[in-house]
Amino acid sequence: MYEEKMRFELTVNGKRQVVYAHPSKTLLEVLREELNLTGTKRGCDDSNCGVCTVLLDGKAVKSCTMLIVQAAGHKVTTIEGLETEKGLHPLQQAFIDHFAVQCGFCTPGMILTAKAILDENPDATEDEIREGLHGNLCRCTGYKSIVEAIEAVRDGDYGDYVINWQEV
Amino acid sequence: MRFEKYFQPGSVEECCALLKEYAGKAKVLAGGTDLVPRLKMGLLKPTAVIGMMDIPGMDEITLSEEGLTLGALANLRKISLDSRLDQDYLVVKEACGHVSSMQVRNMATIGGNACNANPSADAIHGLILNDATAVIASDKGVREIPILEFFAGPGKNTLEQGELLVKFVLPKVKPRTGAAYKKFAIRGDSDISIVGAGARLTLAEDGTVAEARISLGAVAPTPMRAVKAEALLSGKAPGEELFRQAAEAAAEECSPISDQRASREYRLEMVRVWVRHALEEALERAK
Repeated sequence: MYEEKMRFELTVNGKRQVVYAHPSKTLLEVLREELNLTGTKRGCDDSNCGVCTVLLDGKAVKSCTMLIVQAAGHKVTTIEGLETEKGLHPLQQAFIDHFAVQCGFCTPGMILTAKAILDENPDATEDEIREGLHGNLCRCTGYKSIVEAIEAVRDGDYGDYVINWQEV
Repeated sequence: MRFEKYFQPGSVEECCALLKEYAGKAKVLAGGTDLVPRLKMGLLKPTAVIGMMDIPGMDEITLSEEGLTLGALANLRKISLDSRLDQDYLVVKEACGHVSSMQVRNMATIGGNACNANPSADAIHGLILNDATAVIASDKGVREIPILEFFAGPGKNTLEQGELLVKFVLPKVKPRTGAAYKKFAIRGDSDISIVGAGARLTLAEDGTVAEARISLGAVAPTPMRAVKAEALLSGKAPGEELFRQAAEAAAEECSPISDQRASREYRLEMVRVWVRHALEEALERAK
């Protein structure tokens, strides 16, 4: 009984995926270990640090503390889903240009949280951006440049911001 | 953290039957933000986990002539952003909005916040201040209890085996009512409250206090109401001195412990401060 796996269907980065996993697996474990999407990181593993952040139907969630059963039937976006054939996502490019990446471990979670913030409110103020990032820790303490990178995207430095979670 | 069985029932009846069958060996999965870490840490070792997401209507937020109904699965972030609640139930939004980070609020539910029965829970203060009723189902039918009777102690609720929390019903808000919830924590909303303080004031036509509610978190084994402080406010003209006295009374009623977040003495002092602030804001909103 312990080893009994279940069949789950979910859409990851626009692609329909069928996975067989025990229902006690977290979404993070399935992404990293079954689907080989290791861009999503495991940090504190108890929903404090935010490095495991992915988008579930466009909303930022912490994949380390949700079971695969909670993601079944939903659309998941990971950091691997942001780049298109046209190039990096504006937020990815902005993080590079604004030196918002030091060790890089928090970056995938930061960028997906940033995307959720701007997708929900393309005019988010600095305070709203900071409030949105509350659940993401950066221990290189690069918050200032992270906020600046997000503001640059908001302000159109990388073209009109397109809300596109449905497509990815 | 492995459990043996996973179920996803399609109705309340089916869920209650499973809870009865597994008599105390099953845990209900709502948003999972508390359950999953506890499963991972081995603090909970249920045989079965029961996901509620397929039960229709469990996540609904319904505003009607009679008041507000929050399904047990109503999402904290959705509640905190629901503009329909701005007029009468601002404090419900406010309390839900103070729970942890955006990511956690996107998953966590009002029913989960109540069932975990954490003394420092934030979201449930909007329910306490509004005299919410908890609606509980089992194979014997449905029973309703006042929200405060839902909490039994740290991490303990009063659900019996085979019972499922279905929803909260909040009565219609009376005219000239204002309410506010204040969370006091060092690192903001992601942190656990050192003290949570809520207040509701319903004013009479002459501006005196017709009805008062004061809720306190993280200063007793369960979330609580400061009923002596409420009685002290009743019938009097609201103002600085009265609020100071009420805050003092609230501090005398609670029984905080010292832990890694704060000492008992500091918590008592913070009750005096934050009850006053909550009352001031409630009055502002009642006007």
